[in-house]
Amino acid sequence: MVKEECKALLDALSKVTACYRHMVLTIGGTSDSQNLREELKKTRQKAQELAVANRNKLTAVLKDKTVSKEDKAEFERLWVIFSTCMEILEIDMRRALELGQEFPLNVPKKHLIQTGMSGGTSGVAARAMSVQNMKYEAEHNIDVVDLKDLENEINQVGEMMYEMEMKVNVPQWTVEAKQDPGAELKSTISVGASSIGMISVEENKSFCDISKVLAGIIFSAVLIIAIVLAVCVVKLS
Amino acid sequence: MERVIVSMQDPDMGIKMRNQRLLITVIPHAMTGNDIVEWLIQKYAISEEESLHLGNLLVKHGYIYPLKDPRSLVLRADDSPYRFQTPYFWTSSKWPATELDYAIYLAKKNIRKQGDLIDHEKDNYNLLHKRINHTWDFVVMQAREQLRAAKQRRKGDRIVIDCQEQAYWLVNRPPPGALNVMEHGPERRNCHISRVQLPENTDYYKREIECCRKAMGRTRVKSSICLEGYIKFNEQYVPHDPIMSGCLPSNPWITDDTTYWAMNAPTVTTPTKLRVERWGFSFSELLGDTLGRRQLLEFLKKEFSAENLSFWEACEELRYGEQARIADIVDSIYQQFLAPGATRWVNIDSKTMERTLEGIKMPHRYVMDDAQMHIYMLMKKDSYPRFLKSELYRSLLAEAVMPPETKKRVFPFMRKQRHSSPSPALLLPTGEPEA
Repeated sequence: MVKEECKALLDALSKVTACYRHMVLTIGGTSDSQNLREELKKTRQKAQELAVANRNKLTAVLKDKTVSKEDKAEFERLWVIFSTCMEILEIDMRRALELGQEFPLNVPKKHLIQTGMSGGTSGVAARAMSVQNMKYEAEHNIDVVDLKDLENEINQVGEMMYEMEMKVNVPQWTVEAKQDPGAELKSTISVGASSIGMISVEENKSFCDISKVLAGIIFSAVLIIAIVLAVCVVKLS
Repeated sequence: MERVIVSMQDPDMGIKMRNQRLLITVIPHAMTGNDIVEWLIQKYAISEEESLHLGNLLVKHGYIYPLKDPRSLVLRADDSPYRFQTPYFWTSSKWPATELDYAIYLAKKNIRKQGDLIDHEKDNYNLLHKRINHTWDFVVMQAREQLRAAKQRRKGDRIVIDCQEQAYWLVNRPPPGALNVMEHGPERRNCHISRVQLPENTDYYKREIECCRKAMGRTRVKSSICLEGYIKFNEQYVPHDPIMSGCLPSNPWITDDTTYWAMNAPTVTTPTKLRVERWGFSFSELLGDTLGRRQLLEFLKKEFSAENLSFWEACEELRYGEQARIADIVDSIYQQFLAPGATRWVNIDSKTMERTLEGIKMPHRYVMDDAQMHIYMLMKKDSYPRFLKSELYRSLLAEAVMPPETKKRVFPFMRKQRHSSPSPALLLPTGEPEA
């Protein structure tokens, strides 16, 4: 079904955009590295491929006159989501360019900001590329070399968006969201709500919790000793 | 600010980093407020107060964020821990925080906190849902995806990312009542426009010399003379100024009585006394006032020189009239006033007449300027003094109306009587309004 295919493509694009945004966040920080720059490049290219595929599919459908009204509305909604995604992608690419220029990696005088991040972003990149493990094969100065490509790609994306605006006439304000406010809470995926929720809770109470936890540990230790003693008493008697 | 931050990162000369200990995880790159203040003092050789202020600015603009009490963006010069913000989240007017991003952040927070948002965040959330309703599905999708992407990182990093994002949005969307650093005043013109460098060769200097010579040759009036004239003007006009001397019957802005405006309308049957007096001040006052002009016309008719005023008025029409009608107007003026044997021939001296007739061949807005000025001066020097001495003017003065001041209702318990047209000038020195 065309609708399902479109949706799947759009989901994939959304996933890659989120991963790209996540990686751009770490440029300039301490977990920045040549690997990160390579990951950015690969993710970006994947995003562009998906974008082109999305665009082709959606324009084909929207140009099709035989589509029913509800379907058309649905496709218009998907189109609006697609164009917003592209906007975000373009902004992130521009920021990546700017940050990449400001924080070149091999210059000893320019220091990276100590943001407190210590791990790498390979997991995120693997998710974006839909592979198990990332392979790194680029040269040592990819951060500088890549910037030129990045500029070209930004121009390409800009042109693509302009074309999209001109060719497809979907007024954004006619699209209504399917989801009410708070819809994300009803998602079946717990999205680590428990684990991430716990982290923020932990964060706030971290400095006063230590004493409480110690008290808990002592209490449970005493309890265990009491149980052991009781068992011994029972056994001996 | 960014350079300060970058120089803080120097492994030798920068700030000493400590580790932040949470329950299980240890996150590096934390520093105390004290560290920051001392480093600033050392690096820039400034006083402690200044360094504290500078550090505060850094925190308020989001380059450093506090770890213990994230909602209060102040720098405390003690052990409270701080951390640097990632460059993506640095405050920049080139990349303002968009509504879309804020919506995604709120959606993520909603998911994480299971619907438990702070009040102003809840309001913003609903507002955004209405405003960017068309991409709301995208917002939800993207929020979920971003959370899933974040799961791929280590726990310590996840905490750091959350803190970073929270700090960023505290700076860019402060809770109501908090200081909003992003507010700038009115946009000032960018002073970085490079000035065009003129080639400083002989032409340039020649022009400069010419300019200076002309400036020296300009007529100047001594300031003593100029100020005297200014004082005289003010003395003459002070009793006529409605604000400085109060206006009769009453100031409409105070009493809501518009009689004053009605009485001083351009076309009114009986002019006020002050108005008629003003006609005596200068010829331009008389001509400028519609009623005055009419009276002057009456007077000139008696003296058989009314054509002067008519000519002057026709020239005014030419000067300020429509471009399309210029040729017509010039023609009619010529026929009526300038042609030999015209019905209302005006008396202009021969030189001016020659020049005007030459000019008429190529009519434009200002052809009649010379002639008009001549006639104006004639009227001013000749007719105007006679007008002021004439019976007509004297009778006008006698008939002119002086409206009485309206009595303000005096409330029984009011301490000060409110006059109906207090003068602000008199209020200030004495502190009590005098009529």
